Amino acid sequence: MATSNTASFVDQLRSIVGNDNVLTSASERLVYECDGFVVEKNSPDVVVFPTSSQQISSIVQACNEADIPFLPRGAGTSLAGGCLPVGGGVMIVLTRMNKILEINLRDRYAVVQPGVVNIWLTQALKGSGYHYAPDPSSQGACTIGGNVATNSGGPHTLKYGVTVNHVIGMEAVLADGSIELIGGPAGETPGPDLVGAMVGSEGTLAIVTRVWVRLTRNPQGCRTMLGIFESVKDATHAISAIIGAGIIPAALEMMDQGILVALEEAFKFGFPLDAKAILLIEVDGLEAGLDEQRDAVVRLCEQNGAREVQQAASEEERLKLWKCRKQAFGAIGRLSSSFCTQDGVVPRTKLPEIFETIQRVSEKYDLKIVNVFHAGDGNLHPILLFDEREPEQIQKVLAASGEILEACLDAGGSVSGEHGIGVEKIRYMNKMFSDSDLEVMRQLRQAFNPDNRLSPDKMLPTAGACGMEQAHPGRRAAL
Amino acid sequence: MSIDNHSLPLLETFSPADEDQLAALVADCQSSGTAVYPLGGCTSLDYGLPPSREGHGISLAKLDQVIDFPVRDLTITVQAGITMSSLAETLAPENLQLPIRVPDPERATIGGVVATNCSGPGRYGYGTIRDYVIGITAVNGSGQLFHGGGRVVKNVAGYDFCKLLTGSLGTLGLITQLTLKLKPIPPADATLLVEFQQLANVEPTLAWLMESPAQPYAIQLFSGPAWAAQESLPLTAGWQLALGLCGSETELEWLCSQLESEFSQHGIKLVTRLQADQQEELWQQLVQFPVSGDAPLVIQASMVASGISEFIAAAREIDSECSIQAHAGNGVVIVRFSEYPADGLGGALVGSLQPIAMAAHGNVTVLSNPGGSDMTTRSVWGSVHSPLPLLDRIKHAFDPANVLNPGRFIYT
Repeated sequence: MATSNTASFVDQLRSIVGNDNVLTSASERLVYECDGFVVEKNSPDVVVFPTSSQQISSIVQACNEADIPFLPRGAGTSLAGGCLPVGGGVMIVLTRMNKILEINLRDRYAVVQPGVVNIWLTQALKGSGYHYAPDPSSQGACTIGGNVATNSGGPHTLKYGVTVNHVIGMEAVLADGSIELIGGPAGETPGPDLVGAMVGSEGTLAIVTRVWVRLTRNPQGCRTMLGIFESVKDATHAISAIIGAGIIPAALEMMDQGILVALEEAFKFGFPLDAKAILLIEVDGLEAGLDEQRDAVVRLCEQNGAREVQQAASEEERLKLWKCRKQAFGAIGRLSSSFCTQDGVVPRTKLPEIFETIQRVSEKYDLKIVNVFHAGDGNLHPILLFDEREPEQIQKVLAASGEILEACLDAGGSVSGEHGIGVEKIRYMNKMFSDSDLEVMRQLRQAFNPDNRLSPDKMLPTAGACGMEQAHPGRRAAL
Repeated sequence: MSIDNHSLPLLETFSPADEDQLAALVADCQSSGTAVYPLGGCTSLDYGLPPSREGHGISLAKLDQVIDFPVRDLTITVQAGITMSSLAETLAPENLQLPIRVPDPERATIGGVVATNCSGPGRYGYGTIRDYVIGITAVNGSGQLFHGGGRVVKNVAGYDFCKLLTGSLGTLGLITQLTLKLKPIPPADATLLVEFQQLANVEPTLAWLMESPAQPYAIQLFSGPAWAAQESLPLTAGWQLALGLCGSETELEWLCSQLESEFSQHGIKLVTRLQADQQEELWQQLVQFPVSGDAPLVIQASMVASGISEFIAAAREIDSECSIQAHAGNGVVIVRFSEYPADGLGGALVGSLQPIAMAAHGNVTVLSNPGGSDMTTRSVWGSVHSPLPLLDRIKHAFDPANVLNPGRFIYT
C-alpha cells in the first residue's frame, strides 16, 4: 500500500467499522498471511472486521477510491491459497458476521451470515429433522461464506451433492460497492444462474454477505460397512458393482495399505496389515429398504474379492468405523514429519489406473505416497510424505505432484475436486483449459470485477504466462 | 410448434455439421451484425420477449451424437442437439436416467432444456437440470468455442459455466455439448391420488406432508377444466394432489401404507393408488401440461412453497376457468388461462399476480402468449432476482455485438 495517505485511509476504515474492528500492527496481521496453504505468505496491509453489508460496501468504496486491492476471508481453512492477499491490501474478515438470521422449515431454507461456522447450522437444526447437507471435514471451523467461495464438498457429496446444490440465493457486495440480491428462497429465477456462477468463484467475483441455503431432511436410518480387499482393483470393481446395482451410497471412501498401516499403529483398529485396500461404505434412506441395501452391498463386495466385510451393529460401532476414516490424517504424523496432499479427480472407473500411476510415481521419485480416496466421486487425496529439511525432496514432491495431477487430466479428470485453485494450482489451469476457455473466464471476471481490485492474481493464470512457479509443496492437509 | 411455423424472423436457417462450423457461422454473423437464433427442438420459441430483429437460425439438429457413455461412472457426454427421448432411450438399457422430464421429449433437445432451465414434475425429489450439468461446451457471441467443468462429478477448477449458461436462454452462448450426471432408474414406482373440495384445505396437508418420513419424489397439485376432461383418469372437479413415490418394492409398500395412514389420521380417508397404465397417463399429462391445448396465455410462477395457495386463489379470481398445475413441493405454479385477461398482462400480471408472487419471494414469467399483446420486459419477465447492470455486463462480455437471441431477455 502506498505510504502517502495511508494514515488517512486507515482512519477512514476505522470510521467505517470502529477502532476495535481494524488491525494494523505487524504482529496482529501475521495471523492473516496465509490460509491452510502455508507455502506462500503475504500479510495484508490492514485487516478489518465488518459487522454489516453496509460497512463492507463502504470499505469497498474506500478501497476503490484509494486504488487499493481487497479480498474477503472466512476462517482461513481453505487449502489452495484462496485467501492469500497477493500484493497486500485490505483483508475483509467476515467472522464477526456470524448470525443465523432465519430458519424456515416449512419452506426448507435458512438464511445465514457468511461467518457462520458450517456445523453451527446443523447444531441449530438438531431435533428439527433437517440438516445442512454439505459437511466438509473442516466443518467445525470453516464458515458457510467460505464454503460458498470454494464450493466445498465432503464425504457425502456422492449422494447429496456439493455446496452449489444447496445454495439458492445470496446478498453480495459487488466490486463497485453496490449491495445486490441474487436469487433467494424461491430457488428459481429466470435468466443465467448467477447464484451458481458465484459459488466456487473463490472470492474473485463479489463478497457474499448473506446466504440462503437449502435444508435437507435427515435420512430415517443408515447402515455402515467396512470391506477389506486384497487389491485396489478389487475394491474399485466392488464400487462399480454397487453403483451398477442402482445403489448410490451416502458415502464411499477408500484407504490404501500405506494409510492402513499408519492407522493400525496409531489406533489398533485390528486391520490385517497385509490388506491392500479398505472401503468404508454407508447407505442411508428409509429404514424399510436399508437391510436389503446392506445385504446387497455385502454380497457385491464378497463377489468382488473382499476378504471380509464388517458391519456396524450399533451407532457406537458405526462411529468406530468412521473414526478410522476421520483419523486418517492424524495418523500420518506417525509416518512422516511433512506431507503434501493433492486433490485430483478421475472418473470413478479409472481409479485402478490412477492408483498404478501413483505407485509408479512413488517408485520413480523414491517418495512414500499413501492414499485416501473419496472413491465414490473419483476424488483422490494422495499424500506425499517427505522431509521438509531436504531441499531435494521438496523438488521431488513438486515434480511427483505434477505428474499425478497431469495423469488425472489425461484420464479425463480435474486438478481439484474440492480444495480449489487459489494460487496453488494456477499453473495447472492452462493444462486443463484452452486459451479460449481461460479468456472467456477472464471476461466473466471482468464483468464482475472490472478493475481487478477484488482478490487479484487468483485462480486464472495471467494471459500469456504459465502461472506462478512453485518453490515449495503444501504441507497441511484435510479432507 | 414446428420449425416451419414458428414466430422467429429468420432470413436463413443453417445446420452446421460440427462445432467448428457453428463457431465460424457465429463469427460471420458477429462481423456482419446479423442476429443469431439458436434452434434446438423449437419447443420453447414462445418463451421470452419477441426477437428484436431479423437474423439467421442456427439449428443444432446435426449435433445429436453421444460422445461418451462410461456407464459405471454414471455420466454421459452428448452433443446438445440430441433429443430428450433419444437420450432416455440411450440410458434406459443401462437402467439409468436423467430424471428431468420435459414436454415434447421427442423434439426437445438437451441443449434447449439447459438453456431454458426446464425441469419437470420430479424436481421435488430429483432437483432441477442445474444439478445434473457437470461439463459444458458452447460458442459465445464472438464465435469463440469455450468449455467449463469436465467429465467428473466433482470438480471445482475454474468458473462454473455449467451453471452460468443454465437458464441463459441462448443469450450468452450456443450450447454445443454437455456432460451430465445420471441417476439409476428406481426398481418400482407408485402414485397416490387425493382429492380436496376446497383449496383452503390443501396448505395444511402440504405442511404435514413435508414433515412426513415418507417423502415423495413429486408433489403435484392440479385443478381446472383441462384436468376434468381427462376421461381415462379418475379425476373430479375439485383439487387433486398426486404424490409420486419410488424405491424398491419393500420401500414402496412402506411409503404407501405410511402415507395412507397419515392421510387417515388427518381425516382424509380416500387415497387412490393408481393402476400402472393410469399412472403413466397421468405423469404424461403432468409433464405435457405447460404446452398442451391452445391456451391464450400460459404463465409460470416460482415462489416459496407455502405461498402457492394464495397465488392460485388470485389466479382463479382473474380467470375462474383457468387450469392449474403446481409443483407444490417447490412453489412452482403453472396457469393456463381459458381466455386472455380482460385487463391484459399489465392488469393481470404486473398489477395482480406479480405482487402476490413477490410477497412470497417469487416471480411470474410468461411461458406463452400466442396473441403477442402487452409483451413488455416487466410483463413477460417480472422482477428477475438478479442485478440488471451486472447481467448487462455479463451479456456484453459474452456477446459484445448483441447477436445472440437479441431482444428476448431483459438486457437493456
